[in-house]
Amino acid sequence: MTNPITNMPNDPGDIQGEEHWAKRDDIDLFLFRRYSPTARAANPDKPVLFLVHGSSFSARTAYDLDIPGQGDYSLMRTFAGLGYDVWTMDHEGYGKSTHTDGFSYIADGVEDIKAAAPIVEKVTGKKSFCFFGSSSGALRAGGFANACPDRVEKLVLAALVWTGEGSPTLKKRAEKIDEWRASNRRTVDEAAYLNIFNRDVSGLTIPELPAAAAKAEMDNGGGSVPNGTYIDMCVNLPVVDPTKVDCPVMIFRGDHDGIATDEDVLGFFTALPNSDKQLVMVSGQAHNTTIGINRGRFWHSLDGFLGMPGRVDQ
Amino acid sequence: MAEEIWSQEYWALKGDVKLFMWRKRVGDPAHDTAPKPVLFLVHGSSFSGPTGFDLQVPDKPDYSLMDKFASYGFDVWTLDHEGYGRSDSTDGNSPISEGVHDLKAGMDVIIRETGQTAAAFYGSSSGALRAAAFAEAHPEHANKLILDAFVYTGEGAPTLIERAKKMDQWTASNVRPVDRAFFLSIFTRDKPGTTEDGVAETLADTELEICDAVPTGTYVDMCSDLPVCDPTKTTCPVLIIRGEHDGIATEEDLLDYFNKLPTRDKQFVIIPGLAHVTFLGRNRARFWHVMKNFLNAPGRVDQQ
Repeated sequence: MTNPITNMPNDPGDIQGEEHWAKRDDIDLFLFRRYSPTARAANPDKPVLFLVHGSSFSARTAYDLDIPGQGDYSLMRTFAGLGYDVWTMDHEGYGKSTHTDGFSYIADGVEDIKAAAPIVEKVTGKKSFCFFGSSSGALRAGGFANACPDRVEKLVLAALVWTGEGSPTLKKRAEKIDEWRASNRRTVDEAAYLNIFNRDVSGLTIPELPAAAAKAEMDNGGGSVPNGTYIDMCVNLPVVDPTKVDCPVMIFRGDHDGIATDEDVLGFFTALPNSDKQLVMVSGQAHNTTIGINRGRFWHSLDGFLGMPGRVDQ
Repeated sequence: MAEEIWSQEYWALKGDVKLFMWRKRVGDPAHDTAPKPVLFLVHGSSFSGPTGFDLQVPDKPDYSLMDKFASYGFDVWTLDHEGYGRSDSTDGNSPISEGVHDLKAGMDVIIRETGQTAAAFYGSSSGALRAAAFAEAHPEHANKLILDAFVYTGEGAPTLIERAKKMDQWTASNVRPVDRAFFLSIFTRDKPGTTEDGVAETLADTELEICDAVPTGTYVDMCSDLPVCDPTKTTCPVLIIRGEHDGIATEEDLLDYFNKLPTRDKQFVIIPGLAHVTFLGRNRARFWHVMKNFLNAPGRVDQQ
């Protein structure tokens, strides 16, 4: 049986949730894992999938959201059901990870993932993983692929921005650069999420989503997030070098995403040296592809890329 | 046990030109009336539809693209264009524009036989040009478009630079002779080793049983008339597949076409380990995977 909304297999009934912790200097970093023993046994070749969150949600708000009565909103549960060993983490200052005086910039996020990788390796026995990142999470994941190519099997970048040239969202965001610099944190509440989900286009998320995300974020991390990635995206791009990404890459872009222009994303894609690469543009999607009403189309593309057969000549 | 694949020949009519069609699917449609999505495969410049897309290689399974996609649940069709395979040969040279008329005649047969008015089109090389031009001319009949080994303007294409050196030969006659050596060269010109031994030989044997010459029109078009497709006029979802070693176009040329497509449902996929004839390469399973994933993408829940 498949879920009629997501077009993905239904929950196998034994999905586990495990908490783990990593440490970067004196910062405690929260990791969360989901997997299904049944689905893992049936799909032993499915990889470890590490999900990297963006600027405004902690990990489980972004990737493990539960909205009662509204269908499956958890990317972690869905991909655990498909047989993947799914991990995510709260970056410095987000969710259950230590809230420091720092800004949690993209570069800090790369260090967070470096700290998490040995924990994932210890639990799973795998040295390299598939990475998915959305928005500034794509920049963190891309930065990690630059820094630690031996740890990255495949890389999926959604809601990506490279140089930021001509980006409507970043142009608007930069108007408040003094505000982002004045404090290391900003409040995220229902109003903030309503704006995030409707800034590109309305109607591609359900009306209940902002309240559900705000409640989850309050439960997970107290309702505020660091400003570092906002500052990076306004004044420090580019922070990822496509010419130094060695692994297969899929770029996923929603048709209404204002975080970047087509030209900017095409420029990044063209500069990737690995000829195993895909650029997927899908309609009915805005910035937050993972929790939109057409998330099933994104999940289909993600599973398709990660499930690509290997080369028989290697 | 795998379900049995049913097949049948048909004939389309373009004026007084008879065009051969070949169909494969799981189950006889006379008994199994549940509609299956139609996939129309469009051949390129140098070999006919069934030879390329339904090749049976001794002791080597899974070389038939038609069988593979029939097993995936599609109703798979192909057609020999004017002057190719079992279709009528004329005094014409069967350029891309004639191929569009051929596909319209073929589509009329599909509508009659299946009741479905639109199909997913896959074309390889000049077959991709025919399929794209058809989608421009008849958008109501193309619900998805897969362009493989495609070329847009031809700017900087190594294969076309080489091919253009014989332009006088292509324009001197409406046909060009084909032989075993020519067929083998198609599979080695980009990157030797990307095709298993015996595949090109089987293809040559199969095609040479039915012809010793093919029309020159698509060669002339690709050397001197590009672009023959206008991306701004294609409205359906599009997948562009490029074998890593394909010399028929540059990546820049294809991305230029991709960028101009007005649809927001479009994908650009480069597959390592494949050359110009992706569907007969060693790594063809990767090509099938990408194509199947595109064809089976779920629809938008806000448009149902």
